[in-house]
Amino acid sequence: MKIKKLTFMTILIFVALLAGCRGESDNSSPKKDDELILAIGGEPDEGFDPTTGWGRYGSPLFQSTLLTYDKDFNIQYDLATDYAVSADGLKWTVELRKDATFSDGEALTADDVIFTFETAKSSGSIIDLSNLEDLHKVDEYTVEFNLKEPESTFIYLLVSTGIVPEHAYGENYNENPIGSGPYQLVQWDKGQQIIVEENPNYYGDKPYFKKMTFLFLSEDAAFAAAKAGEADVVSIQPAFADEEVAGMKLIQLESVDNRGIMFPFEQAGGETEEGAPIGNDVTADIAIRKAINVGVDRQKLVGGVLEGFGTPAYTVADNLPWWNPETTIDDNNLQQARKILEDSGWLENEDGIREKNGLSAAFTLLYPAGDQIRQSLSITFAEMMRPLGIHVIPEGKSWNDLEYLMYSNPVMMGWGSHDPLEIYNLYSSETRGVGYYNANYYSNPSVDDYLNKALRATSESEANSYWKKAQWDGETGFSAQGDAPWAWLVNLDHLYLIDENLEIGEQKIQPHGHGWPVTDFIEQWHWRE
Amino acid sequence: MLNLRQRTAVIIILAIVLLSVIMLNGIFMDNDRLTVNLDSKNNAPSLNHLFGTDWLGRDMLARTLKGLTMSMGVGLLAAFLSAWIALMLSLLASLNKTFDYMVTWLIDLILSVPHIVLLIMISFAFGGGFNGVVVGLALTHWPSLARLLRSEVLQIKSAEYVGVSQQLGKSKLWILRHHIIPHLAPQLFVGFILLFPHVILHEAAITFLGFGLSTDQPAIGVILSESMRYLSTGLWWLAFFPGLSLLLMVALFDLLGKNIHKLGGPFQGQRG
Repeated sequence: MKIKKLTFMTILIFVALLAGCRGESDNSSPKKDDELILAIGGEPDEGFDPTTGWGRYGSPLFQSTLLTYDKDFNIQYDLATDYAVSADGLKWTVELRKDATFSDGEALTADDVIFTFETAKSSGSIIDLSNLEDLHKVDEYTVEFNLKEPESTFIYLLVSTGIVPEHAYGENYNENPIGSGPYQLVQWDKGQQIIVEENPNYYGDKPYFKKMTFLFLSEDAAFAAAKAGEADVVSIQPAFADEEVAGMKLIQLESVDNRGIMFPFEQAGGETEEGAPIGNDVTADIAIRKAINVGVDRQKLVGGVLEGFGTPAYTVADNLPWWNPETTIDDNNLQQARKILEDSGWLENEDGIREKNGLSAAFTLLYPAGDQIRQSLSITFAEMMRPLGIHVIPEGKSWNDLEYLMYSNPVMMGWGSHDPLEIYNLYSSETRGVGYYNANYYSNPSVDDYLNKALRATSESEANSYWKKAQWDGETGFSAQGDAPWAWLVNLDHLYLIDENLEIGEQKIQPHGHGWPVTDFIEQWHWRE
Repeated sequence: MLNLRQRTAVIIILAIVLLSVIMLNGIFMDNDRLTVNLDSKNNAPSLNHLFGTDWLGRDMLARTLKGLTMSMGVGLLAAFLSAWIALMLSLLASLNKTFDYMVTWLIDLILSVPHIVLLIMISFAFGGGFNGVVVGLALTHWPSLARLLRSEVLQIKSAEYVGVSQQLGKSKLWILRHHIIPHLAPQLFVGFILLFPHVILHEAAITFLGFGLSTDQPAIGVILSESMRYLSTGLWWLAFFPGLSLLLMVALFDLLGKNIHKLGGPFQGQRG
């Protein structure tokens, strides 16, 4: 009986699936009003509180920040009208505009800025303010930040932290955000949608769209909504990009949302405080890491796995102002890769796998199970390594397992931030084994030196020159030219289907995270005239 | 014309042959057919690739066969363990009233919880993966068979010749070995085979839901859940053929079990 029931259910499911495959309907709605419906995912679990991490990327919508980046990563003023850094880099003075008010009409003053940063510092969230000694009010519209040590990346915290009102901040702030941003929250149906409306007290240019609805849909449902003409902006995966959707156009945004393989840098043997093994004898050999970097065909990964919607990646920060273009290498060069391996004593055995001193060139490449792109990259990468005589076994694991295994196994990771501090976190000896940062225990004294200089620099251009030298200074560095502790493979393009009459303007290079970052200049979006 | 007994035998042989073909194909198949081939991805079914290819250009027929073999392996192991548990518990129940009460209680307990829920919990508790799935399946599929065997044992125990043996002073163990187990064997064997389809479908189900085998293993459940992502782009063959093959394999096992039952049971066999 049970079997019959199961069989019957299986058949039912098939019928339902087939029925789901009917042709697309082309009833694109003709509305051209000042409302917009978006399905770009990204519902924040923690709510809309900037002091616990809301709005690091894209628009914080409800709040505004002291400074912003323009699309070329130049610093622009927002709430601030001026800022100055002392010669020793320790004292940052920020002057505020005097016409800014919160959506409830109260003026935004230095007290609110101080309150925001103090709350963020004590929140223990992803916002790292440990270098902030204290901050105090100079006058009603001037704030002074005192750092423990000079930190050039501190400016990024001013760019990304939305200011919250001291008078209206409480337990439930994350569900009732009041701020000085272009929009205010009307309604949040958890797991379904948020509805926002224009903030009448916004000090900046009035946004074109008076009302927006953000739907939180699964990939499939979002795509279906686009097809049915029920959403104006939809984030989609490369697999859907070839589909024509009536009334919508495909927007392809370049990103530093990268994927690459992190190689354990040390010999096996060590242990973390939690007892997780550190190191891997195969990938500790620089010849293996270099050969992989030279031998892999990044362009083919872009074409095959990402359907062409991406670019080859060479570092963690391609095309950002602190990126060193000399890190680009000629890849897909099997001959040179083989030479590197043979020169250092890795010789092929009768199974076609290389060996050196009895150690065979084999490792397990881990990826988070359920991430289809990382899975496909891992499987394809493993195939590419076969002609080199390196045996790669791709294996999917849960993030829980990965957190234990990532110190001793290569892992398919993804990063990509608008904050160069990420470079420091990934490659500095100081951050070895700190969470996901530098989990491969990379360490190089001269890289450390550059990284520290970059951090201590007092101007951005000075900092950037050191960030670049840390990647490759002509002799050493953390890029594939140097120690090659990673094999960066691809940068994902972020794809959106948007209404063909909607203009969203030029966008920044997108960071890690597909969805919310597109809202960056949302107050400037408008219908095509 | 063949008579009923011969027809049953032919069906059994056919089913066995088909199943072994699937299995041997899966085991001895050249692994090269599973490799990534980015030049021929997302191909619709053709003579070259009967089941089409997936988004990495892997041949779906090869993946399906591998998956079916995997499922059969899991099914074999789990069904065997389940049947073993069922046999042990039914024999335990025959010892005395208290044990009988305990076993019936355990059967009712397990049957009262929805199968899939219990399966997910056990599999999850054992850390998922191959081990988790096999343990989960083994621990959840024995009750109906155990119930059947228990009533069979009760019936045999009340038979006259068993009474005679008792009167002659034979030990309980002797009766167990010489009277009960030989009579249980056909029931057990048929029950074992009929557990198979059940176990296989459940394995595919929890793997599909993401609680079972890990995604790098070529299991049917993995194939099906992966292909869900591509359905809305029109790659119907990714789900259709593997699903259909799973259904066919399950139906074959069902057929096999029923026909063996027909052939083996002295009463049912003649009744047809």
